[in-house]
Amino acid sequence: MNVGKFLLRRVLQGIFVIWGVVTIMFGLRAVSPGDPATLMLGEGATQELIEHVREQEGLNEPIYVQYFDYLQGLIVGDFGYSWRSNREVEAMVIERIPATVELAVVATIVAVVIAIPLGVISATRRNQPSDYGATMFSLLGISTPNFWLGLMLILLFGVWIGVLPTGRRAVGFGEAMVTLVQYGSATGLITWLQHIALPAITLGTYFTALITRLTRSGMIDELGKPYVTASRAKGLPNVLVRYKHVLRNTMIPIITVLGLQMGTLMGGAVITETVFNWPGLGLRLIDALDARDWPLMQGIVVFIAIAFVTINIFVDAIYSYLNPQVNE
Amino acid sequence: MISDRVKSNLKRTFFQSLLPKIGLVLLVSIILMATFAPLLATHDPTRTGYYDEQGAEYPPIGHEYTGSIAEDGEIVEITVEPTSEHILGTNNVGQDVYSRFLYGARVSLLVGVLGTIMALAIGVPVGLIAGYYGGRVDDALMRVADTMLAFPALVLALALIGVFGESPVMVPDPFVMIGLADGMPEAIPIPGTVTIVVGLVSWVWFARVARGEALAIRNEEYVKAAKSFGTSDRTILLQHVLPNSLTPIIVLATIQIAVIILLEASLAYLGFSGTTLSWGYEIERGQDVLRTRPWVSMFPGIGIVLTVIGVNLLGDWFRDALDPNIEGEGR
Repeated sequence: MNVGKFLLRRVLQGIFVIWGVVTIMFGLRAVSPGDPATLMLGEGATQELIEHVREQEGLNEPIYVQYFDYLQGLIVGDFGYSWRSNREVEAMVIERIPATVELAVVATIVAVVIAIPLGVISATRRNQPSDYGATMFSLLGISTPNFWLGLMLILLFGVWIGVLPTGRRAVGFGEAMVTLVQYGSATGLITWLQHIALPAITLGTYFTALITRLTRSGMIDELGKPYVTASRAKGLPNVLVRYKHVLRNTMIPIITVLGLQMGTLMGGAVITETVFNWPGLGLRLIDALDARDWPLMQGIVVFIAIAFVTINIFVDAIYSYLNPQVNE
Repeated sequence: MISDRVKSNLKRTFFQSLLPKIGLVLLVSIILMATFAPLLATHDPTRTGYYDEQGAEYPPIGHEYTGSIAEDGEIVEITVEPTSEHILGTNNVGQDVYSRFLYGARVSLLVGVLGTIMALAIGVPVGLIAGYYGGRVDDALMRVADTMLAFPALVLALALIGVFGESPVMVPDPFVMIGLADGMPEAIPIPGTVTIVVGLVSWVWFARVARGEALAIRNEEYVKAAKSFGTSDRTILLQHVLPNSLTPIIVLATIQIAVIILLEASLAYLGFSGTTLSWGYEIERGQDVLRTRPWVSMFPGIGIVLTVIGVNLLGDWFRDALDPNIEGEGR
């Protein structure tokens, strides 16, 4: 099978998955208690007004008609209107994307930059103090609930030492870069870094720990394979064998696991954003849940699913690049 | 079903390293703590109170005070520091943090184990059937599994709880029933929906592993032989495929308990729990007084970390001992 065909198949599967998510969310909304029109108008609205809104919103139609209307809207990018604020859901989702993406990207970078060297050191110096240290760190990392970690970081750095802000996102990365380029002032960037440091560590710790563990065990597996012994016997320098061949082969399964863990990352973002009052999609989702604002909830969840599917198609593409056997 | 090789592997890896021993000690202590919570607790974990400056309960119960100063001008606190009476202090409604710490272990462990059983009960049959039959059945079931994976577990759990409510289940306390622990709550609430929901969002991992095992086993000679004798699929699945795929499923189940404990804590932290005895809920409550009364959040968090470390260490031990691909630490 060639790469194009392989990817096309994955895209079709992805569309099916997104349709599944849309349908499950619609089903949940259909069985959820509470009358949408009342939720939209608030308590104390007159019966006439409620009836008017029901008619206008198509809530009196049979459920399957509502379902196909909703699907039809989604296909052209119309996610409907928020019941609470009456704004377009697309706009409410889009405006929150940068904050969450910034957080997720910085957290992932922190995780990868710390975890891969740590895992390599751990695997190549087995049963030495540095290995024990890395193992303990990763054990703590996968065992600590991130909201508690966030609170303890706030307590330590925000309250006791008092060097970092305890929450909020003062400035976006884009704006910070603009001030840097236009006015040559780094204050924006420093403020941005100060605000994102604790949330990114909070979100990234679990992944740092996970990747460290995966790298360590993957490397140990690979180092035991005959080709490593053969390369060494051939006289290839250890460094070259380790980093060019072993690490590359170790990365293949790790990338797949990380792609599948994107859901965990999004779940972690919901929590982290709540702890730090970080105005991203996660915080908006919690607000939507509290307000039972279903169109907004659906919109955010469907968006997350689209992101998940897209990232995993990319992961598959990288995978087939790193491991050409997949395409055969 | 547990072969001698597995037993000897378990023994060897246990004595080889310090970590499984630490894990076992941690977990056994926490299980004992949870079981005997009513006997170990110093106060009713649900009873709120007011305290004077020494931490002694201030007014006779039944009095109501609105501020922090009592009628006679004495200073009365709700959240007190650790004292000899309240060894870990009290939380922001005056409940004893130490006693709540003990009861929190019950919620965490019960939800962790019951949720994992839920996930096993759904995921393993689905995975075995998909892998064993292959073809269309496999395709359909795996697409459903993909869809579940595209949902962040936490987000799906939140949506489901939003729809079905929290429905706590009151579990009566045996120690109180037989009169060994007077003054403790007669029953404690266990989050009902959460327990089901954490299972519903975790079954996919079991399905994937069980499917992989079934795929590998269905082409083994002995399965083909059994088939040629006319053994039914049901019998083959239950007597051959299931027992032979148990090892990776047990390893996964152990790790999944840890994941589910963390998930329950997160849901409780976000306010979707159904029981105020959850460690996660307590951490959220402590957030309001984090600056001045950090112990309210700190101790339940330590409880979660220790429990999850214990479970994870046990999971690592099982994996090292049982997974033939890794074959212990020595290679």
